[in-house]
Amino acid sequence: MGKQDEGKTVTRREVLKLAGTAAAFCTSFGFLHGSQTGGSIRGKSKGISELQLKWRQAEIKWYSGDVLLHSGEFPSKVLKHLQSDEMATVEIKWFRAGKLQQNLGKIAANR
Amino acid sequence: MVGPHEILGMARVLGIGTTEFLALYSDNGGVTLRSEEDGRCVFVTPSGCRVHPQRPLVCRLYPLGRSTDERGEERFVVFPAQSECEAEAGRDGTVGSFLESQGVGPYLGWSRRYGELYRRMIGLLDRLDAEGEHDTSEADAPAEAAQAGSGSGGSGQEPDRAPLSPWQDIDASLNEYCAAKGIAIPTEIDDTIALHLRAMEEWLDDMESRLGLAETGSNPSSLT
Repeated sequence: MGKQDEGKTVTRREVLKLAGTAAAFCTSFGFLHGSQTGGSIRGKSKGISELQLKWRQAEIKWYSGDVLLHSGEFPSKVLKHLQSDEMATVEIKWFRAGKLQQNLGKIAANR
Repeated sequence: MVGPHEILGMARVLGIGTTEFLALYSDNGGVTLRSEEDGRCVFVTPSGCRVHPQRPLVCRLYPLGRSTDERGEERFVVFPAQSECEAEAGRDGTVGSFLESQGVGPYLGWSRRYGELYRRMIGLLDRLDAEGEHDTSEADAPAEAAQAGSGSGGSGQEPDRAPLSPWQDIDASLNEYCAAKGIAIPTEIDDTIALHLRAMEEWLDDMESRLGLAETGSNPSSLT
Protein backbone atom coordinates (compact mmCIF):
# COMPACT_ATOMS: atom_id res chain seq x y z
CA MET A 1 0.00 0.00 0.00
CA GLY A 2 2.97 2.23 -0.41
CA LYS A 3 3.56 5.02 -2.84
CA GLN A 4 4.45 4.36 -6.43
CA ASP A 5 7.62 5.34 -8.20
CA GLU A 6 8.16 8.93 -9.24
CA GLY A 7 6.67 9.68 -12.63
CA LYS A 8 3.84 7.16 -12.43
CA THR A 9 0.25 8.18 -12.03
CA VAL A 10 -1.92 5.33 -10.89
CA THR A 11 -1.07 1.78 -11.83
CA ARG A 12 -3.41 -0.74 -13.36
CA ARG A 13 -3.15 -2.79 -10.19
CA GLU A 14 -4.27 0.19 -8.13
CA VAL A 15 -7.19 0.83 -10.46
CA LEU A 16 -8.27 -2.78 -10.08
CA LYS A 17 -7.93 -2.60 -6.33
CA LEU A 18 -9.86 0.67 -6.29
CA ALA A 19 -12.65 -0.73 -8.45
CA GLY A 20 -12.83 -3.94 -6.43
CA THR A 21 -13.01 -2.03 -3.17
CA ALA A 22 -15.67 0.35 -4.50
CA ALA A 23 -17.73 -2.61 -5.76
CA ALA A 24 -17.41 -4.40 -2.43
CA PHE A 25 -18.40 -1.31 -0.44
CA CYS A 26 -21.25 -0.50 -2.79
CA THR A 27 -22.81 -3.86 -2.02
CA SER A 28 -21.70 -4.25 1.58
CA PHE A 29 -23.05 -0.91 2.73
CA GLY A 30 -25.98 -0.50 0.35
CA PHE A 31 -24.52 2.63 -1.22
CA LEU A 32 -26.45 3.58 -4.30
CA HIS A 33 -24.63 5.12 -7.23
CA GLY A 34 -26.34 6.53 -10.27
CA SER A 35 -23.91 5.37 -12.91
CA GLN A 36 -25.90 2.57 -14.45
CA THR A 37 -26.85 3.00 -18.07
CA GLY A 38 -30.11 1.66 -19.34
CA GLY A 39 -31.84 1.41 -22.66
CA SER A 40 -35.25 1.34 -24.21
CA ILE A 41 -37.67 -1.54 -24.42
CA ARG A 42 -37.63 -2.71 -28.03
CA GLY A 43 -40.61 -4.96 -27.94
CA LYS A 44 -42.01 -8.22 -26.72
CA SER A 45 -41.92 -11.62 -28.27
CA LYS A 46 -43.61 -14.66 -26.77
CA GLY A 47 -43.68 -12.97 -23.38
CA ILE A 48 -39.98 -12.26 -23.40
CA SER A 49 -38.98 -8.64 -22.95
CA GLU A 50 -35.98 -7.56 -24.96
CA LEU A 51 -33.97 -4.65 -23.63
CA GLN A 52 -31.30 -2.83 -25.53
CA LEU A 53 -28.59 -2.26 -22.97
CA LYS A 54 -25.02 -1.26 -22.68
CA TRP A 55 -23.67 -3.89 -20.33
CA ARG A 56 -21.22 -1.71 -18.50
CA GLN A 57 -22.85 -2.19 -15.15
CA ALA A 58 -25.92 -4.19 -14.24
CA GLU A 59 -27.89 -4.11 -11.04
CA ILE A 60 -30.81 -5.92 -9.55
CA LYS A 61 -33.17 -3.71 -7.62
CA TRP A 62 -35.78 -4.81 -5.14
CA TYR A 63 -38.79 -2.60 -4.59
CA SER A 64 -41.79 -2.54 -2.33
CA GLY A 65 -44.27 -0.61 -4.43
CA ASP A 66 -42.30 2.44 -5.49
CA VAL A 67 -39.89 2.24 -2.58
CA LEU A 68 -36.42 0.94 -3.35
CA LEU A 69 -35.41 -1.57 -0.69
CA HIS A 70 -32.11 -2.89 -1.99
CA SER A 71 -29.81 -2.72 -4.95
CA GLY A 72 -27.09 -5.20 -5.82
CA GLU A 73 -24.75 -5.54 -8.77
CA PHE A 74 -24.70 -8.56 -11.07
CA PRO A 75 -21.83 -10.91 -10.24
CA SER A 76 -18.78 -9.97 -12.28
CA LYS A 77 -18.62 -13.25 -14.17
CA VAL A 78 -22.21 -12.79 -15.33
CA LEU A 79 -21.46 -9.25 -16.45
CA LYS A 80 -18.36 -10.38 -18.36
CA HIS A 81 -20.45 -13.01 -20.11
CA LEU A 82 -23.05 -10.43 -21.07
CA GLN A 83 -20.38 -8.08 -22.36
CA SER A 84 -18.67 -10.70 -24.49
CA ASP A 85 -21.58 -12.69 -25.93
CA GLU A 86 -24.26 -10.96 -28.00
CA MET A 87 -26.47 -14.01 -27.70
CA ALA A 88 -26.29 -14.04 -23.92
CA THR A 89 -29.49 -13.72 -21.95
CA VAL A 90 -30.38 -13.31 -18.31
CA GLU A 91 -33.33 -15.27 -17.00
CA ILE A 92 -34.97 -14.08 -13.83
CA LYS A 93 -36.66 -16.65 -11.64
CA TRP A 94 -38.22 -16.15 -8.28
CA PHE A 95 -37.78 -18.94 -5.74
CA ARG A 96 -39.05 -19.36 -2.22
CA ALA A 97 -37.66 -22.09 -0.01
CA GLY A 98 -36.15 -23.75 -3.05
CA LYS A 99 -39.41 -23.87 -4.99
CA LEU A 100 -39.89 -21.97 -8.22
CA GLN A 101 -42.61 -19.36 -7.73
CA GLN A 102 -42.45 -17.54 -11.03
CA ASN A 103 -40.28 -17.24 -14.12
CA LEU A 104 -40.13 -13.55 -14.94
CA GLY A 105 -38.61 -14.08 -18.36
CA LYS A 106 -35.39 -13.40 -20.18
CA ILE A 107 -33.50 -10.23 -20.93
CA ALA A 108 -31.39 -10.41 -24.07
CA ALA A 109 -27.93 -8.88 -24.11
CA ASN A 110 -28.38 -7.25 -27.52
CA ARG A 111 -26.16 -4.23 -27.95
CA MET B 1 -24.60 -7.75 3.21
CA VAL B 2 -21.66 -7.22 5.50
CA GLY B 3 -18.89 -4.66 5.68
CA PRO B 4 -15.31 -5.27 6.74
CA HIS B 5 -15.88 -3.88 10.25
CA GLU B 6 -18.80 -6.28 10.73
CA ILE B 7 -16.70 -9.19 9.53
CA LEU B 8 -14.11 -8.19 12.11
CA GLY B 9 -16.69 -8.18 14.90
CA MET B 10 -18.15 -11.56 13.97
CA ALA B 11 -14.69 -13.07 13.56
CA ARG B 12 -13.77 -11.93 17.06
CA VAL B 13 -16.94 -13.53 18.51
CA LEU B 14 -15.90 -16.79 16.86
CA GLY B 15 -12.29 -16.40 17.96
CA ILE B 16 -10.85 -16.43 14.44
CA GLY B 17 -9.20 -13.93 12.12
CA THR B 18 -10.93 -12.07 9.34
CA THR B 19 -9.00 -14.00 6.67
CA GLU B 20 -10.37 -17.26 8.00
CA PHE B 21 -13.83 -15.78 8.49
CA LEU B 22 -14.01 -14.63 4.88
CA ALA B 23 -12.88 -18.04 3.65
CA LEU B 24 -15.35 -19.96 5.81
CA TYR B 25 -18.42 -17.80 6.12
CA SER B 26 -18.61 -15.22 3.31
CA ASP B 27 -19.86 -15.41 -0.23
CA ASN B 28 -20.22 -13.24 -3.34
CA GLY B 29 -16.78 -11.72 -3.05
CA GLY B 30 -16.93 -11.35 0.71
CA VAL B 31 -19.94 -9.04 0.77
CA THR B 32 -22.59 -11.48 2.01
CA LEU B 33 -22.74 -14.20 4.63
CA ARG B 34 -23.03 -17.73 3.41
CA SER B 35 -26.43 -19.40 3.45
CA GLU B 36 -27.51 -22.95 4.03
CA GLU B 37 -29.25 -24.79 1.22
CA ASP B 38 -32.65 -23.81 2.61
CA GLY B 39 -31.67 -20.15 2.54
CA ARG B 40 -30.99 -19.74 6.26
CA CYS B 41 -27.99 -17.70 7.27
CA VAL B 42 -25.06 -19.93 8.16
CA PHE B 43 -25.07 -18.50 11.70
CA VAL B 44 -28.71 -19.22 12.51
CA THR B 45 -29.07 -22.22 14.81
CA PRO B 46 -32.05 -23.63 16.71
CA SER B 47 -30.77 -21.81 19.77
CA GLY B 48 -30.29 -18.52 18.00
CA CYS B 49 -27.65 -16.53 16.16
CA ARG B 50 -24.06 -17.66 16.75
CA VAL B 51 -22.69 -14.15 16.31
CA HIS B 52 -25.53 -12.22 17.94
CA PRO B 53 -23.35 -9.88 20.06
CA GLN B 54 -21.65 -8.65 16.87
CA ARG B 55 -24.45 -9.25 14.37
CA PRO B 56 -24.27 -7.01 11.32
CA LEU B 57 -26.20 -3.80 10.88
CA VAL B 58 -28.61 -5.36 8.38
CA CYS B 59 -29.69 -7.86 11.06
CA ARG B 60 -30.00 -5.17 13.71
CA LEU B 61 -32.12 -3.02 11.41
CA TYR B 62 -34.60 -5.67 10.32
CA PRO B 63 -37.50 -5.14 9.60
CA LEU B 64 -36.10 -1.80 8.50
CA GLY B 65 -33.89 -1.49 5.44
CA ARG B 66 -31.39 1.31 4.86
CA SER B 67 -29.95 2.73 1.67
CA THR B 68 -27.56 5.59 1.04
CA ASP B 69 -27.44 7.57 -2.17
CA GLU B 70 -24.33 9.05 -3.82
CA ARG B 71 -24.61 12.19 -1.69
CA GLY B 72 -24.59 10.12 1.47
CA GLU B 73 -28.23 10.72 2.29
CA GLU B 74 -29.80 7.86 4.20
CA ARG B 75 -33.25 6.45 3.73
CA PHE B 76 -35.04 3.87 5.86
CA VAL B 77 -37.85 1.68 4.63
CA VAL B 78 -39.91 -1.12 6.15
CA PHE B 79 -39.47 -4.57 4.65
CA PRO B 80 -42.58 -6.51 3.74
CA ALA B 81 -43.47 -9.08 6.40
CA GLN B 82 -41.74 -12.42 5.84
CA SER B 83 -43.91 -15.43 6.56
CA GLU B 84 -40.88 -17.49 7.64
CA CYS B 85 -39.73 -14.92 10.17
CA GLU B 86 -40.83 -15.40 13.77
CA ALA B 87 -39.86 -11.90 14.82
CA GLU B 88 -42.60 -9.61 16.04
CA ALA B 89 -42.78 -6.23 14.40
CA GLY B 90 -45.17 -3.39 15.05
CA ARG B 91 -45.57 0.16 13.83
CA ASP B 92 -45.44 1.87 17.21
CA GLY B 93 -42.65 4.33 17.84
CA THR B 94 -40.24 6.05 15.49
CA VAL B 95 -37.35 4.98 13.32
CA GLY B 96 -35.04 6.79 15.73
CA SER B 97 -36.33 4.98 18.79
CA PHE B 98 -36.09 1.64 17.01
CA LEU B 99 -32.49 2.28 15.96
CA GLU B 100 -31.61 3.22 19.52
CA SER B 101 -33.20 0.06 20.89
CA GLN B 102 -31.08 -2.07 18.57
CA GLY B 103 -27.80 -0.41 19.44
CA VAL B 104 -27.07 0.54 15.85
CA GLY B 105 -25.45 3.90 16.60
CA PRO B 106 -21.83 2.76 16.29
CA TYR B 107 -22.66 0.69 13.20
CA LEU B 108 -24.28 3.63 11.46
CA GLY B 109 -21.28 5.74 12.41
CA TRP B 110 -18.83 3.27 10.88
CA SER B 111 -21.02 2.85 7.83
CA ARG B 112 -21.06 6.62 7.27
CA ARG B 113 -17.30 6.83 7.56
CA TYR B 114 -16.79 3.98 5.12
CA GLY B 115 -19.32 5.77 2.93
CA GLU B 116 -17.10 8.86 2.86
CA LEU B 117 -14.25 6.69 1.62
CA TYR B 118 -16.55 5.07 -0.94
CA ARG B 119 -17.48 8.44 -2.41
CA ARG B 120 -13.79 9.33 -2.68
CA MET B 121 -13.21 6.03 -4.52
CA ILE B 122 -16.00 6.82 -6.96
CA GLY B 123 -14.49 10.26 -7.49
CA LEU B 124 -11.13 8.72 -8.27
CA LEU B 125 -12.65 6.15 -10.62
CA ASP B 126 -14.61 8.86 -12.42
CA ARG B 127 -11.42 10.88 -12.81
CA LEU B 128 -9.47 7.87 -14.07
CA ASP B 129 -12.28 6.94 -16.44
CA ALA B 130 -12.45 10.47 -17.81
CA GLU B 131 -8.77 11.01 -18.30
CA GLY B 132 -7.29 7.53 -18.63
CA GLU B 133 -4.68 8.46 -16.06
CA HIS B 134 -3.49 5.00 -15.19
CA ASP B 135 -0.22 3.42 -16.13
CA THR B 136 -0.86 0.54 -18.55
CA SER B 137 2.76 -0.43 -18.99
CA GLU B 138 2.93 -3.04 -16.27
CA ALA B 139 4.03 -6.27 -17.84
CA ASP B 140 2.73 -8.37 -15.01
CA ALA B 141 -0.71 -6.80 -14.89
CA PRO B 142 -2.70 -10.08 -15.05
CA ALA B 143 -0.91 -11.49 -12.04
CA GLU B 144 -1.28 -8.21 -10.23
CA ALA B 145 -4.93 -8.04 -11.11
CA ALA B 146 -5.49 -11.38 -9.43
CA GLN B 147 -3.61 -10.18 -6.39
CA ALA B 148 -5.37 -6.83 -6.30
CA GLY B 149 -8.75 -8.49 -6.43
CA SER B 150 -8.19 -10.77 -3.52
CA GLY B 151 -6.58 -10.24 -0.19
CA SER B 152 -6.43 -13.97 0.29
CA GLY B 153 -5.31 -14.93 -3.17
CA GLY B 154 -2.94 -17.57 -1.92
CA SER B 155 -5.47 -19.35 0.21
CA GLY B 156 -6.92 -21.45 -2.61
CA GLN B 157 -10.39 -19.97 -2.27
CA GLU B 158 -12.93 -20.40 -5.03
CA PRO B 159 -13.01 -17.22 -7.15
CA ASP B 160 -16.55 -16.24 -6.08
CA ARG B 161 -15.62 -16.65 -2.47
CA ALA B 162 -12.43 -14.64 -2.54
CA PRO B 163 -12.90 -11.06 -1.34
CA LEU B 164 -13.38 -8.46 -4.06
CA SER B 165 -10.80 -6.28 -2.35
CA PRO B 166 -7.94 -6.92 0.07
CA TRP B 167 -9.35 -4.08 2.21
CA GLN B 168 -12.26 -6.33 3.18
CA ASP B 169 -9.81 -8.45 5.15
CA ILE B 170 -9.04 -6.12 8.04
CA ASP B 171 -6.57 -8.39 9.81
CA ALA B 172 -4.50 -9.00 6.68
CA SER B 173 -4.56 -5.39 5.52
CA LEU B 174 -3.67 -4.04 8.97
CA ASN B 175 -0.90 -6.60 9.40
CA GLU B 176 0.63 -5.17 6.24
CA TYR B 177 -0.07 -1.55 7.19
CA CYS B 178 1.26 -1.85 10.76
CA ALA B 179 4.37 -3.69 9.61
CA ALA B 180 5.10 -0.93 7.11
CA LYS B 181 4.51 1.78 9.72
CA GLY B 182 6.25 -0.04 12.54
CA ILE B 183 3.23 0.29 14.83
CA ALA B 184 1.37 -2.22 16.98
CA ILE B 185 -1.81 -3.85 15.76
CA PRO B 186 -4.74 -2.76 17.95
CA THR B 187 -6.53 -5.35 20.03
CA GLU B 188 -9.85 -3.60 20.59
CA ILE B 189 -12.43 -3.79 17.82
CA ASP B 190 -13.16 -0.04 17.76
CA ASP B 191 -9.46 0.83 17.62
CA THR B 192 -8.93 -1.71 14.85
CA ILE B 193 -11.75 -0.28 12.75
CA ALA B 194 -10.47 3.26 13.30
CA LEU B 195 -7.00 2.24 12.12
CA HIS B 196 -8.48 0.44 9.12
CA LEU B 197 -10.28 3.62 8.14
CA ARG B 198 -7.08 5.62 8.59
CA ALA B 199 -5.08 3.20 6.47
CA MET B 200 -7.67 3.38 3.71
CA GLU B 201 -7.76 7.15 3.95
CA GLU B 202 -3.98 7.32 3.51
CA TRP B 203 -4.24 4.99 0.51
CA LEU B 204 -6.78 7.31 -1.10
CA ASP B 205 -4.81 10.43 -0.08
CA ASP B 206 -1.82 9.04 -1.94
CA MET B 207 -3.73 8.35 -5.15
CA GLU B 208 -5.58 11.67 -5.00
CA SER B 209 -2.27 13.43 -4.55
CA ARG B 210 -0.80 11.77 -7.61
CA LEU B 211 -3.87 12.70 -9.64
CA GLY B 212 -3.84 16.27 -8.44
CA LEU B 213 -7.10 15.90 -6.54
CA ALA B 214 -5.71 16.52 -3.07
CA GLU B 215 -6.07 20.29 -3.18
CA THR B 216 -9.51 20.41 -4.73
CA GLY B 217 -11.36 19.83 -1.50
CA SER B 218 -12.54 16.45 -2.72
CA ASN B 219 -11.84 14.91 0.65
CA PRO B 220 -14.66 15.70 3.02
CA SER B 221 -13.49 13.14 5.52
CA SER B 222 -12.11 14.07 8.90
CA LEU B 223 -11.03 10.63 9.99
CA THR B 224 -8.49 10.35 12.75
